[in-house]
Amino acid sequence: MELLREARCGSEDRSDALVCVRPGPGVRVEVTSKTGPMYEARIREVVGEVLGSYGVAGAEVRVTEQGAYDHVIAARLEGALYRAAGAGEAFHQPLPLARPRQGSPRDHLRRTRLYIPGNNARLLAFCDTFGPDCLLLDLEDAVPPEEKDAARFLVRRVLATLDFGDTELWVRINPLDRGGEEDLRVVLGGKPHGICLPKAESPVEITRLAGLLYELEGRLGLPWRVWIMPIIESPKGVAQAADIARVSERVVCLAFGAEDYTREVGCARSWEALLWARSQLVAAAKAAGIQASDTVYGELEDEVGLREEVRRAKALGFDGKGVIHPLQIGPVHEEFAPTPEEVRWAEGVVRAAAEAQSRSKGVVTYQGRMVDRPVLERARRVLALAQALRMEVGDAA
Amino acid sequence: MPLNAVGREIPETIAGRPVKPFQGAFATVPQGRKHGGPLKTCRPRGNKVVPSLEEAIRNSGLSDGMTISFHHTYRNGDLLVLKVVELCERLGIRDLRLFPTALFPCHQGLIPYIERGVVTRIEGSMNGPVGAFVSQGGKLAAPAVLRSHGGRWRAAECGEVGIDVAFIAAPCADPYGNANGLGGSNPCGPISFSVIDSWVADHVIVVTDSLVPYPAIPPEIEQGYVDQVALVDRVGDPAGIVSGTLRVTRSPTQLRIARLAVDAVLAAGLVRAGMGFQAGAGGISLAATDFLAKEMKKRGIKAKFAIGGVTRYLVDMFREGLVEVILDGQAFDPESISSLREDVRHQIITPGFYADYNSLGCATYMLDFAFLGGTEVDLEFNVNVNTHSDGQLLHGIGGHQDVAAGAEVTVITIPTIRGRIPTIRERVTTVTTPGEVVDLIVTERGIAVNPRRQELAEDLKKAGLPLRSLEELRAEAERLVGKGKSPLFGDEVVAVIQWRDGTVIDVVRKVEGWE
Repeated sequence: MELLREARCGSEDRSDALVCVRPGPGVRVEVTSKTGPMYEARIREVVGEVLGSYGVAGAEVRVTEQGAYDHVIAARLEGALYRAAGAGEAFHQPLPLARPRQGSPRDHLRRTRLYIPGNNARLLAFCDTFGPDCLLLDLEDAVPPEEKDAARFLVRRVLATLDFGDTELWVRINPLDRGGEEDLRVVLGGKPHGICLPKAESPVEITRLAGLLYELEGRLGLPWRVWIMPIIESPKGVAQAADIARVSERVVCLAFGAEDYTREVGCARSWEALLWARSQLVAAAKAAGIQASDTVYGELEDEVGLREEVRRAKALGFDGKGVIHPLQIGPVHEEFAPTPEEVRWAEGVVRAAAEAQSRSKGVVTYQGRMVDRPVLERARRVLALAQALRMEVGDAA
Repeated sequence: MPLNAVGREIPETIAGRPVKPFQGAFATVPQGRKHGGPLKTCRPRGNKVVPSLEEAIRNSGLSDGMTISFHHTYRNGDLLVLKVVELCERLGIRDLRLFPTALFPCHQGLIPYIERGVVTRIEGSMNGPVGAFVSQGGKLAAPAVLRSHGGRWRAAECGEVGIDVAFIAAPCADPYGNANGLGGSNPCGPISFSVIDSWVADHVIVVTDSLVPYPAIPPEIEQGYVDQVALVDRVGDPAGIVSGTLRVTRSPTQLRIARLAVDAVLAAGLVRAGMGFQAGAGGISLAATDFLAKEMKKRGIKAKFAIGGVTRYLVDMFREGLVEVILDGQAFDPESISSLREDVRHQIITPGFYADYNSLGCATYMLDFAFLGGTEVDLEFNVNVNTHSDGQLLHGIGGHQDVAAGAEVTVITIPTIRGRIPTIRERVTTVTTPGEVVDLIVTERGIAVNPRRQELAEDLKKAGLPLRSLEELRAEAERLVGKGKSPLFGDEVVAVIQWRDGTVIDVVRKVEGWE
């Protein structure tokens, strides 16, 4: 790869690195580290590896780091190379995963989807420790237009480097014709489980996204099918929700975004004003046999209000909620927990079904009421949730 | 060079004096009798007030080579240490040994006095620039000596450090020498660190900017021990007592660590009626206190007592009835000082009551659990609070050793990576607190349980908490940021780290280069 111009990427914020590159005859690396001589050699090594992987033979690289992790420095260097050399295939190569990762089931627990700004090195450095059900690395609203390219590389490195355990990994891309396609080509190299499509308004976009995913999965050798979570955040989207939910097998969850919806409709951001949209969204999702996730609760300090909104959303049929800070995860998970009565009921249903099967009985009843497939499935869901929350669950589960 | 009980090489003598190496947390059997100041008397209706500090110093007989002591409860707002040293230079007094409880960044101005030989030795904690300066080596006539709060009390009480003149910054004092930190126009909270100084020093000067009619109450410092009361314009700046950021952190990592720490003590069954706990003032400690308060409320549990570093978060718990008694050795904000004035169940305690090894009772020995921090921990559960991984001496011991030794369960809260430096090392740069008194290490990536506390590991596992070995945590951090180079240490000892019993648990050596 040949550098055409001088370029820089990153910042001098805490946990970040500022990387400047310029064309040069050979490779020259200059490191200024917050830790003094402790990590200079290591940082040179990281720079050398990245330059080698892009086949850069002539570059002067200057790294000023403020306690940035290796993968942050690598991503900032990639961003600088991208700006210095211009876009190209070289930036669409997959990264090897540092830790093995499994695909996620269609019905993965999705009580929380935590938004993390895709260009915030400090938060991304340890976003593996927050423990939401779904981590959503955001390339859209949280990233200013001039940093979208840099954020892609950071998100890809974070995905490939950290060990996220059971957390399902999502990237919110930009709308497909506003950078979203390039977002996909880069970040899929970090092997996320799913892609969030913002401002979804028509099934056509979903079909287009699904097609791109199909093509890229093959090219990148992704070992699983990448899920889609459309975010419905406009009246038009709500009107189309049912079609959006069922247009592709990849769509596993509809998410509601109240902020834009409220603005477009010109309504208040109150429970009553949004009730129709929420109900519509839940019905569309459930008709397609997928999950529904409610909008975020913006008042970070107001845990009581958050819990109240989660209780209402759960009562409407939502399976999860967007969260904007790790502090909100605990309360939301607690509120989505089944009550002890629900758990006892679910255990009874599952046990009754198992007994009926062992005696080859066709019709299953529990407490005098018929247990058909949806009831059994609901009971199993309750038990799965209870187990995820380490509630006391009997043998039935 | 012989190794002590935590495997550190300790010289046999330091500055010409034999060294007792650390043998174990409770191995030392004290010998001898307590040390005291000279017997003195006075006549009725005396007046001890002198109009200036300079005159008081002249009257005290302070001369070359002597030891002067200070408390640190104005923390970063202290004005007295520099003022005394400056006057000493003006009076031609040199070669002083400083015996403060601690120095802060505000004492950076000491450095020129050290370079000019006015101050040649320091026995006390050094937070920040003075520590960094001493770390360079060759600056002091003898290595600095660092002690815990309890350790300093012990050293004064047994005569290990003789005090010639004690200077006691007193926000409020009467002409007879009774003094406290609660009254006056610049209150700093308890000044009880200086009580032992007043008992053992040859000469005691109370320094105040708020003289009140006799008697000043409470008399933290008592009239019977005070030679002079010197007046100054301003004794200290109370704005400096506020410790770090006195707000519950919003940092997700710190919050997660705090949450896990509280979940751990809950799982261990330590949050129970009548408990006693220690709350600190760091970001994680404050968040943990906050989580703890919520859990106590939810469960209807009330604590019998809490020990501070007292902050308004603890005061809130006290006012809500969640904590019955506060034992307060140090105030970290104005709310704590108001509370001390208002309610006798918020009690001032001395470091002797708190933590003296050579005593028949320590408040820290009654703790059910405590949350403490550190700069590094190692695979043996040893904790460093004094130096950074680059070998710089930047922090004091505070009550770390005393609390860890005393609490039934000692919880160290620490992120696995700080800046980009891993905190879990194969060996800590400096051992401050030995692994034998450390039970849990709580990080954002999980909790390590000292293998000596198998029953704790079982309780935590049962509660579903993420247990990890220190080796796993160390390896995970190293994967993200690499190993990094270590500093190479020379032979010169720049500071001695005492265990609270007076033995040497480690020494800090001069950094000569990098591997």
